[in-house]
Parts: sequence; structure tokens; C-alpha cells
Amino acid sequence: MKLDAKIPEGRLEDKWRNYQVKSQLINPANKKKLSVIVVGSGLAGAGAASTLAELGYDIKCFCYQDSARRAHSVAAQGGINAAKNYQHDGDSVWRMFYDTLKGGDFRSREANTYRLAELSAPLIDHYVQQGVPFAREYGGTLVNRSFGGVQVQRTFYARGQTGQQLLMAAYSQLYKMVRAKKVEMFPRSEMLDLVVIDGKAKGIIVRDLVTGELKRYAADAVVLATGGYSRVFRLSTLAIGCNGSALWKAHKKGAFFGAPSFTQIHPTALPQSSEAQSKLTLMSESLRNDGRIWVPYQKEDTRRANDIPEAERDYYLERRYPSFGNLAPRDIASRAAKERIDAGFGVGRLKNAVYLDFKHAIERFGLETIKDRYGNLFKMYRKITGIDAYKEPMQISPAAHFSMGGLWVDYELMTTIPGLYAVGECNFSDHGANRLGANSLLQASVDGYFILPNTINNYLANEMKADHPTTDHPEFVKAAQEVKAIIDRVLAVNGTKTVDHFHRELGKVMWQECAMSRNKAGLVKAIAQIQGIRDAFWSDVKVTGDSSELNTELEKALRLADFIELGMLMCTDALERDESCGAHFREEFQTEEGEAVRVDEAYSYVSAWEYTNGDFKLHKEALEFEFVQPSVRSYK
Amino acid sequence: MAMNQLFFRKTIIAGTGLFLCIFLVVHLSANCILLLPEETARGLYNSYSTTLRESPLIKIVAYLLYLSIVLHVVYALLITIRNRKAKPQKYVVNHSKENSSWTSQNMGLIGTMILLFIVVHLANFWARIKLGMGDVVGLDAAGNVDVYEVTSSLFHNIYYVIFYTALAIPLALHLHHGFKSAFKTLGFYHKKGLRMVAKIALVYAIIMGVGFGIIPFIVYLK
Amino acid sequence: MQVTFKIWRQEGPNDKGAIRAYEVDGLTEDMSFLEALDHLNELLVLKNEKVIAFEYDCREGICGQCGVFINGRAHGPLDNMTTCQLHMRSFKDGDTIVIEPWRAASFPVIKDLIVDRSAFDRIIEQGAFISAKTGTAPEANAIPIPKEVSDRAMDAAACIGCGACVATCKNSSAALFTSAKINHLNGLPQGRAEEHKRVAEMTFQMEIEGFGSCTFTGACEVECPEGISVINIAEMNARVTKAKFFG
Repeated sequence: MKLDAKIPEGRLEDKWRNYQVKSQLINPANKKKLSVIVVGSGLAGAGAASTLAELGYDIKCFCYQDSARRAHSVAAQGGINAAKNYQHDGDSVWRMFYDTLKGGDFRSREANTYRLAELSAPLIDHYVQQGVPFAREYGGTLVNRSFGGVQVQRTFYARGQTGQQLLMAAYSQLYKMVRAKKVEMFPRSEMLDLVVIDGKAKGIIVRDLVTGELKRYAADAVVLATGGYSRVFRLSTLAIGCNGSALWKAHKKGAFFGAPSFTQIHPTALPQSSEAQSKLTLMSESLRNDGRIWVPYQKEDTRRANDIPEAERDYYLERRYPSFGNLAPRDIASRAAKERIDAGFGVGRLKNAVYLDFKHAIERFGLETIKDRYGNLFKMYRKITGIDAYKEPMQISPAAHFSMGGLWVDYELMTTIPGLYAVGECNFSDHGANRLGANSLLQASVDGYFILPNTINNYLANEMKADHPTTDHPEFVKAAQEVKAIIDRVLAVNGTKTVDHFHRELGKVMWQECAMSRNKAGLVKAIAQIQGIRDAFWSDVKVTGDSSELNTELEKALRLADFIELGMLMCTDALERDESCGAHFREEFQTEEGEAVRVDEAYSYVSAWEYTNGDFKLHKEALEFEFVQPSVRSYK
Repeated sequence: MAMNQLFFRKTIIAGTGLFLCIFLVVHLSANCILLLPEETARGLYNSYSTTLRESPLIKIVAYLLYLSIVLHVVYALLITIRNRKAKPQKYVVNHSKENSSWTSQNMGLIGTMILLFIVVHLANFWARIKLGMGDVVGLDAAGNVDVYEVTSSLFHNIYYVIFYTALAIPLALHLHHGFKSAFKTLGFYHKKGLRMVAKIALVYAIIMGVGFGIIPFIVYLK
Repeated sequence: MQVTFKIWRQEGPNDKGAIRAYEVDGLTEDMSFLEALDHLNELLVLKNEKVIAFEYDCREGICGQCGVFINGRAHGPLDNMTTCQLHMRSFKDGDTIVIEPWRAASFPVIKDLIVDRSAFDRIIEQGAFISAKTGTAPEANAIPIPKEVSDRAMDAAACIGCGACVATCKNSSAALFTSAKINHLNGLPQGRAEEHKRVAEMTFQMEIEGFGSCTFTGACEVECPEGISVINIAEMNARVTKAKFFG
């Protein structure tokens, strides 16, 4: 199968307009007759559901949480980028496009990335109209701040709760359409399979998490907006419920998985403190605006941070990357931290952290300004650690965060299954091998609000004449039976170990071999280990309770079963890519100074994996750079 | 749009409450006459109460007063019933003292105590003077109904003194929380203003509590 | 450290439910409170018992999904934080910790410690939005909004919808939740166009959901993870009156 990204003709600046001009339209009276399923209610899901509903489609929206407002978009703290150039500092759509493409180490499509930058400005307009209380100057205009990997100030924010505020806007708009009876909302519902009829996505199988009942829903198109899968590492910055199951089921039904190994490790999370830990809390990257990262020059230094004199502090990011300093992109900052920690300079009780120090910022701007900018982050830090970061530096550590990889989609955000779309973090599209800070809220929103509502009609226009299958179609029956079989199988094992036990095992392997730095031997070993975990899981897991009730243990088990398989694909992908690019750092491919070595001649493509009876087959979508010459990504 | 009962009822309670707060100021000022030397106090007190009884304006105010008490009690009751229904199952352990004052959690109980007091208080005075129940009330030298005598004799009974003084405590607590909450219920949301209201509420509650509580004692000792 | 958990167990909405005690050893002070419950659940699985159902998602204090009554306080013994932010260092070795679900007629128990808070969604549905369609927005800086106005809106908008206000209120009043949303939107110029309708409809919905009335105990403000001030309720009351006269 030849992968066609369907990139429109024309100059980069004209592509999106050219696409819209040629795309098919559906008249309002007919839209009413078409229905769309949206799985997920974050910025991408809620944005898509509400906008499609406004356009007239009939929408069913599903989320596993108790309310749409819990979706994990809520947790993004720092901000959202937009090429508004309000700061008059030389920003432009082109510069934002270039920063994003370069930040992703030239492993994404030019056309997609440009469209992301192009639609960023109207998105800010949209959110302001929806009542998001972005930070403002005294004069009433919007404020911006800097973020990693960028030399202009283009990040908009609402205190340390940008994600929450954007999600509230999306959730409100979604409920506006619930009230208008154009969206039917299904909380506490988890998608467990995709239904494909005659090669087209036509519905889903859902487990009602309260009653345990398996339900079938049919529609003319299915949109996945299910977020990232970094919980495959177990310890991550993601919500505990975040999972890759919807993606994985779609993948098994024929959707190609794009660049699964591209997962980002965030440099500023709180360090792990014990084996029992379930979650690593993220401290916004925006802290790196004013905070300075350092470790002691002396190994195993036991002095308290404040007792270490200035001359004995190694501001290693400023030392290694003088022009970006503490604002180096995430992958680079994480790797640099790992390098120092592995070399024995780590701080904290478990020697697994580095310092993030605000002393100089407080001296320069005053305590009040710092409180105004980061007050709630400092408060949060104190709640979790009991430490007052105004008085001594924070301790931070890298943690699994964002997945750039996801279902492969074309320019229309359609997967390789016609009628199945993937929006937001769950697709692989705009970020390449590494995502820049504050681009995540942006991509999720732009996909949901602006892109999908303009591309889905191109498919649905032809579905008008097609049959509208009902849920008693044999494919629905079959899919529901398959789901039931898996559930019964999990419950029947009745072994001796808990689900969390296996998740910890998987997490350890993934973190060791498939996180910040990878190598061939390690990945080969990891694949074998994961196979072992899979076998052990299916022969020795114990899940109590049954399937016809609210059973959180069962939910976890089903998610983990998919994570284990996904972990294998991630390692397979990482092993296949003999180069270092962005977050994918292969130890065999580095300079003497430890910087990544990209191999454009051989690997300038997006890997798209096809599921073939338990095996994975690679397809390549070559990346052609017409407008930008890929350069060595340097932040020195 | 249907009538919003939660707000309507609370508004009534707050409005009547504040009106009763004003009444209490007038009531306490009059009571202060009792602190004067006996002869002056008797004349002044009796002529004051006669004036009140005969003024048509005061008559209207008095009916407003009765109405306020009734509305305040009835709506408080309605709201309490609804609020209980909103929390049918209580917590096994509840440390509400750590997040709010005892008074604010028990306004209904305190209010009931005050209501009981009012009943006794009305029986002591209003029933005797206006309805003529119990012993006949005589006239003083100036020909006014000798209300002073009624008061004075009541407050020479130590049990009544203790009752009246003790009940000044729930009164003060009720006024303290009620006064400042009424402003918020009625939609006053100025931050600094509310801080001021809280201070005034405290001072007001103390004055009312101490004032009403101490006068029976002083009369007793006279 | 070792503690005794006394936890409300209830099979389903129609089950009566009761407190059950569990002695748990092997906890550390660094563990979050929810991790201690995870640990207990793993022990239960190994003993072939059903796990305790409790809610959480982000575990960093922002999604609002977690929330239980711990030793007589919503979200536990500390002020202004979520259950997931509570750590075992707030307890002592040998403590008994009583855990109950949120109690309110409008938040019926689904199972064990999980309650149904969809009443909040229905309040939001009644007008906590700005009725403008995607694609109709004017330039973002076209309407200047003074920093004070924007900051005040943000203070109110910080609500995470966890329901601690209702849980802790002796009247199960949802006034703090509803007022926070109303003041956020009505405080901004974008929200003005439908301010009276919003106030009238959201407060009416709050009433028909069966929440009690606010009697200003102030408990909600202390338990609110975002420290949203009860003054918001006073402001909502003013807006209700205004809506009656001008709406």
C-alpha cells in the first residue's frame, strides 16, 4: 500500500487555502443526516465535537472520565503558542513554522507544520472569544512569555492553568451543543474496539464503566482524540487513566501507526521518590524562563543547595548551549540532565534530580513578580514536596511526557482506514521527532476546531449515498464478541500477580531501553523482555471482581494488555531507525560531544507500521523538503 | 423563568434579619433607661412605652416586626428542611470545626433557642400589658401603665435573671453570623467592605449580647 | 508506617453500605494518599477480594476527579488541596484514617467512594458558555480587558469542579461552584451579552438538581483546592437580583 499524504498543490502559504477551495461541501440539510463518533473530550475531541455539531452533524462524544472536563488537556500548565507577533520581536508564521520543524528535527511534513503555525493566530482569537482569561498587561492587551526552543515570545498563558482554562472553554462549548441536542455525551465510557465495515470505519464498541455493559454505536465516521500513550512507561506526567487502547485497537484493525518510538521525555518533572509512586508531577517548562538549572561541580556533594557557593555550581545548560541556555528544547535539556545524573552529579535523596533555581530571578525581578508569574506552581511544589521553592531551589528530573508518535494521518487527518480520523496527540503529524513546549495545546485545538471540521466533509460527502449500517451488522456483532472474549480471558487467568506489578515491569524495561537514550543491544533485549512480560501477564495476572460491574482493576488490566503490545512496537520502531533525531537518541549515533547525529540520506521518512497478525510491517512516507533545507539542529 | 426559591427564601431571611437587627438597637437603647436611678427610670420608661403604644406609626412598625419574626422563622424552617434533604446522609466523622465556626454550622439550633426566648419574653411582657393576662398592671404617678414595675419585679426573680442573661449568648452568636451573612446574601460583595461588615458585626453582637445580658442583673441588684 | 483505614464500602447505588476496617503496613511518608490506597488495593487483589473503587485521574491536583472525605474533612486534613496532593507524611504511624464518599443528595454514590457528579455538568450546560460559533472570533486584542478584570475572572475560573464545596457544606450547596463559573464569564466583556440569561438559568438548574442553599459557613472556601472565595457567592447573589430586574 502506497502512503499518500494528500498534500495540496501550491506554495506553502497557499496550500491550506487551496485545499479548502477544492474540498467537497455538504449542504446544511444533509449534514443533519450524517453522524460522527468522537472518542475523547480533550481540546481535540471537545473542539471537534462542538464545532462539527455547530456545523450541523449529529455527534456522539465518549470519554472514560466522569466528566468531559477531566480530559488530560487540563494538566498543561505553561501555555499555548501563536504567531501573533504581539511582542514585536520578529515573530511570524514562517518563523513559527521553522522553529517547530527544526524543533522536531525535520521529521515532520512541511505542509502540516506550516498549517499549524498559520492557524495559531485565529485560535487565540477563538479562545479569547470563548472567555479564556489569558494573562494581560495593565493596558488590557495580551501578554506573552518565552518557551523552550524559541527566541521570540509567542506563548499565551492563563497563570499556570492554561490547559485547564482552554479545556473549560472547550468543555463549555461542548455542553452548549449538548444543550442544543446536537451532541450526545457519554462519560464513563471506554472504547474497546473499532468496527470496520467494507474497509471503512463505521462504529465502535464501548464498555459502560459503571455497569460493565458492552454497547455498540454506529456512525458515518469515527474520530479518535484519545491523547498520548506515555503511560506505557508507567511513571509519566500523564493522568493515570490515559491509555493507548483506542489507538491500539484501531491499529489492529488496519490503521498504520506512525513513528511510535517518538516519545518525549520532559526535563522538569518532580523526581521519583519511591517504588510505589504512580505518577510524576510535571512542573511547567515555563519555569525555565526565569529559573536556572544547575548541579554541583563536586560529585556526591552532600551540602544543602543554598550552602554551595556560586563558583561551585555547574549551570550545564548555559555552559553547553550558550545561545539558548536554560531554554534549550526539551529533548536536549532532558538528555543533558540525564548525562549529569548518570555521571554522578545528581542531587536529592536518591541522587536522581537537578536543581532549578530562582534565586537570581527573585533578585532581579522581585519576589512579587515571580509570585505573579509562577505562584501556583510554587504552591503546587510545596504541596507535593513540602519545600518552599522561594527559599531553596526546586529539585527536578526528567519524566516521560508527550508522544509525538501516533496513528499515521494524511493532510486531512485521516488514518489509513477511510472514515477513521485521529486528532490531537493521538496522531503523528506536526511535531516530528520532538515537540516544542506550548505546541501541544495548540495542535490539539487546531486539529479539533479548525482542521477536521474542514476536512471531514471531503469524506462524508461521499458517504451521503452510502448505506448507514446499524449496530446489528455482523461486523458489530463480531467486534463485540471479540471484546467480550478478551475481557473473559483476562478474568479467567486468575493468577498470582497484580496488574500494577506487570505495569511496573513493563515501565522499567521501557524506561531503561526506550526512553532518553537507546541502543541496538538494549532494544533487542527489551523486545524479548516485553514478550516475557506479555506471556507472564496472560498466564499469571489476577483481576478480582467481574465484568458486569464497575471494576477499576479490570479497566487497568485491559489497558495494560494493549500497552504491552504497543511497547513492543515502540522498541521495534526505535531499533529500525539507525540515527538520532529529536527525542529518539540512539547512542551509536552521536558526536564526540554527545550531540545527536541525524542520517537524512537514509531516514528522512515517517515510519508507518502496519499490524499483520501479531507482527509489524514497515511502510515509509518519504519526507520531502521543498521549502526548507534540513540543517543540523544546533542550539549552541 | 420560575421563581428561584433558594434565593428568594434566603433574601427574605436576610432582609427580615437585618430589620430585626435595627429593632434590637432601639430595644436596647430603651432598656438602657432601666439603668438610671429608680425614680427617673420609672417615669421615663413608662412614658416611653405609653408613647410607643399610642403612636399609629409605631403600630405599623410593630406589625412589620411581628411579620418579620414570623417570616424569618417560617423561611428559616423551610430552608432548613430543604437543606437537610440536600444532605440526607451525614458523615460518620465530620470535623467541621476545622473549616468553619460552630455558630455558622448551628444557626438553626441557636435560632430555635432565641425563638423559645421570644415566646417567654412575650409572655412576660406583651401578654400581661397588652392582653391583660395575669396580674393587673397598675398605673404610675403620671398615669402611665407601670411597665417599669412589671420589668423590675420580673428581674428580681433570680431564675428569670439567669434565663434572660444566659439567652443573651445565643442571641449574640446568632447576630454575629447573621449580620455579616445577610450582607453577602443580599449581594454585597465589596471585598474591603465585607471586611468592615465583619468587624461591625462583631462589635454589634458584643454590644447586643452584653447589653441585653447585663441589664437584668443590674436591675436585680438595684 | 502502618495505618488503619476505615473505608466506606458500598456495592452499588441501592446497597446500604458500611464502614470496613483495613490494617495496612509497609507504607512510607513519601507515598501520596492515593498511592497508599493503590497499595491497599493490590493487597486486596492478592487476597482475592474486590478492590476499593475510588476516583482519580491526573494525580496532580488539576483534573478534579479525585475527592473523598478523609477524617472528617473534604480532601483530607490540610486546607486548599486535592486528595491526590495529600501525602502520607500528613499522618502518623498507627493512625486510623476514616474515608467516606462525598455526601449529598445530588451526588449519589455509584460504588464505594465513587459518586455521580453529573449535576455539575448539567449546571454548566445551562449557560456556562459564550454562544459564539467557532470561526466567528474577532482579533484577540480588539477588546482590551484591564488586568484587574482579567485577573478577577481568572480567580473565579480556577475552579476544578471536584465537588469538595458541596461535600463539605452542611447544606450541600453548589453555590461556590455555580458562582465561580458565573462570575468568570459575566465578569468578562465577552460574557456580557447573555449575562442575565446565564445567571437565571444556571442558578435555576442548581436548584432543581436538589442542592441546598448557602448559609455562608465558609467551609467551602477552606476546602476548595483553588481557594475560591465565598465572596463569589455574594457576587452571584447580586447578579441574581440584577437579572431579576434587568433580565
